[in-house]
Amino acid sequence: MSQQDSSEHRLMLSDSVTDFARGVDVARVRKLRETKTECDRAVWKQMADLGWLGVLVPEQYGGMGLQLGDMAIVAQGLARALVPEPLTAAAVLAARVLADSNNNPLKKKLLEGLVSGDMLPATAWQEQAGTLDVSKISAEATPFEGGFRVNGSKRFVMGASSADGYIVSANSAQGMQLLWVPRNAAGASLMFDMLADGRQSGTLTLSDVNVAKENVINTGAAASASLARAIDHTAAIVSAELCGIMGRSLEMTLDYMKTRVQFGKPIGSFQSLQHRAVDLYIQQELSSAVLADCLGVLDSEPDAKARSAAASRVKARCTDAALLITRQAIQLHGAIGYTEDCDVGLYVKRAMTLAAWLGNGNTHRRRYAKTEILEGVV
Amino acid sequence: MSLSEANTTVKTDWNALGDDAFRMDLRAYFEKEFPDHLRFLPRRLRWSESRDWWIKLSKKGWLAPNWPSEHGGMGLAPGKLIIYWEESERAGLGRMPDQGLTMVGPTLIRFGTDAQRAQYLPKIIAGENVWCQGYSEPNAGSDLASLRTEAVLEGDEYVINGSKIWTSMAHDATNIYVLARTDKTAKQQRGISFFLLDMKTPGITLRTIRNIAGHEEFCQVFFDNVRTHKDNLVGKLNEGWTIAKGLLTFERLSIGSPRRPLQAFEQLDALARAQKLFDDPGFVDRYTQLKMDLNDLTSLYRRYVDKVRRGEALGPDVSMLKVFAMDTYQKLSELLLEAGAEYGAFADEITLGDEKIDLMSPFYISRPGTIYGGSNEIQRNILSKYVLQLPA
Repeated sequence: MSQQDSSEHRLMLSDSVTDFARGVDVARVRKLRETKTECDRAVWKQMADLGWLGVLVPEQYGGMGLQLGDMAIVAQGLARALVPEPLTAAAVLAARVLADSNNNPLKKKLLEGLVSGDMLPATAWQEQAGTLDVSKISAEATPFEGGFRVNGSKRFVMGASSADGYIVSANSAQGMQLLWVPRNAAGASLMFDMLADGRQSGTLTLSDVNVAKENVINTGAAASASLARAIDHTAAIVSAELCGIMGRSLEMTLDYMKTRVQFGKPIGSFQSLQHRAVDLYIQQELSSAVLADCLGVLDSEPDAKARSAAASRVKARCTDAALLITRQAIQLHGAIGYTEDCDVGLYVKRAMTLAAWLGNGNTHRRRYAKTEILEGVV
Repeated sequence: MSLSEANTTVKTDWNALGDDAFRMDLRAYFEKEFPDHLRFLPRRLRWSESRDWWIKLSKKGWLAPNWPSEHGGMGLAPGKLIIYWEESERAGLGRMPDQGLTMVGPTLIRFGTDAQRAQYLPKIIAGENVWCQGYSEPNAGSDLASLRTEAVLEGDEYVINGSKIWTSMAHDATNIYVLARTDKTAKQQRGISFFLLDMKTPGITLRTIRNIAGHEEFCQVFFDNVRTHKDNLVGKLNEGWTIAKGLLTFERLSIGSPRRPLQAFEQLDALARAQKLFDDPGFVDRYTQLKMDLNDLTSLYRRYVDKVRRGEALGPDVSMLKVFAMDTYQKLSELLLEAGAEYGAFADEITLGDEKIDLMSPFYISRPGTIYGGSNEIQRNILSKYVLQLPA
């Protein structure tokens, strides 16, 4: 794609996201903790109609076949408006894994369903907290009637509450299997834990769940490589969401500093607060520079080591910056920032949820240290 | 034509050369020709150490990368200029008393008269005039606009009285450029003018000041009824502040380059290898954080460099680069000392196995980085006022 095409796409995406965001009702986000799912399928359908669910999906399956740099625009813009739908879990993580599949009939069905909004996939790969290693699983897939019988328990599944099916990783004699498990499969049960922002973290328990051969997505080294790449790419898009969160949060804070009067002056005229605001701004700009750089690296499809390093750099920086900026937003708003009615809290909570998903700052720094620093030491 | 084959009597358009070819030619020359004993010094070079290299570069036509070619410079476009800086830093070329090249030349080219340009520019290129900068005063540091050195017109001459301080390398300089107050009734910034002076003018005296590392790096300069012809005023009367400010944003990009912190990182790596510090999880945590900070600084720096390459003007937001670069550099220098344990108090270079490691120099070099060129607090004021537009 030429550079001009690419910037045109980005402008169009950015415009459509801005339009959409204008119509978002924050009241719905505030009430999420009273609802069982963050996904309103009517909103989801609208997002599908705008093409966003297919940004990364190849054109032959009805998608746009664009890059992470394009997806980041959508994710960042929607996060600014606190849109709670599981865009990143479905349209990045699941989409990447599905696009790598060689099982063409299944791939066609699931990707076309994802793009149209009728089929919402979630990815159930993780079992332990604090790891990004796709091999650290104990779910087992044993051969059964030409397919597999799966046992195991998957945690921290994002987008699980409305998902129509799950991409499940499991060990087998041939290495990792990535299997498609429909939501209503016999032996599959779901439990949910509410996250800080009112969205749901799923636990998927699989007891003798039968998966037909037709539902094998990927196998062996290709499966684990595909999953690892999808996780790195998703971490980068989550970073874009964090940039959206910190951007809006800082804007609100600066507006407040210009209008809130104490001691007869706007509080933004006090130097100690000005310098703090500047430090927050520097972290925001640093995040956006790192995001741009790392998206560029990821879109150039480097080897796995460079890819993971880029993903860890951007997720670590954006996580730390978003947590700092949203927490300071409470402080700079004072008591009003600590109330349910103030939007500041919604941004803190979304930042915490996004920070914890797919590796927080500490997890990513540890991974970066392992591959980029310690492996080189003799 | 390759750069190194260029005949200096012919005006060469370096900008027409590919970036990589340009870079490789500079690299080869800097590696071969610069005196090894002056590379990566923990201090600025004295004029006595710089002179030969200055003349050598001058003869080759490579002395003034930022000046237009009609004034004896290389006329580099901004993108090429950054390559020149990067290669100078990479080769560890020491900082010469370069105020003539970095400040006086560009100022005269933009604001000077033809006579001033003809009088001063060739002497800078020839290494006959060495310039220093008279901005700060004992009572005008961060609040530079409150400066009180004054210039009063008497006939055809200005009479200058006052004092300048932190004047780097004044003891090596033949000339000084000075900001002086020419209208006491105007609002602070409005009544300041920009003058060029010969250091031998009667009434100028100086006292050297030793810096914290023990190096004689800067001076206090005294002006006692110093008389200079009115032709040595640069630009319009009372508009010296605009002249002084004009060149600062580009300077902040140069200060924000990750190259110097990267050099300190090499010392840290050497120390960590020698002392097996990578076995210590506490060290690894802090090392990793700083390494990632440095990579992120590089991303931020590149954003501004790309802007310059596209020919866009840099705004006041470039101040953030200086703040983050210098904060990171200082943290790095502090980790270097702490990781050195007992060695972290050794004043001079230490030897561990095959490695010679200088733990202390990065500490001293990084220290004034948050003070000069507008302290980090002043940079934050600039960002607050002009970028975030917070109220006064």
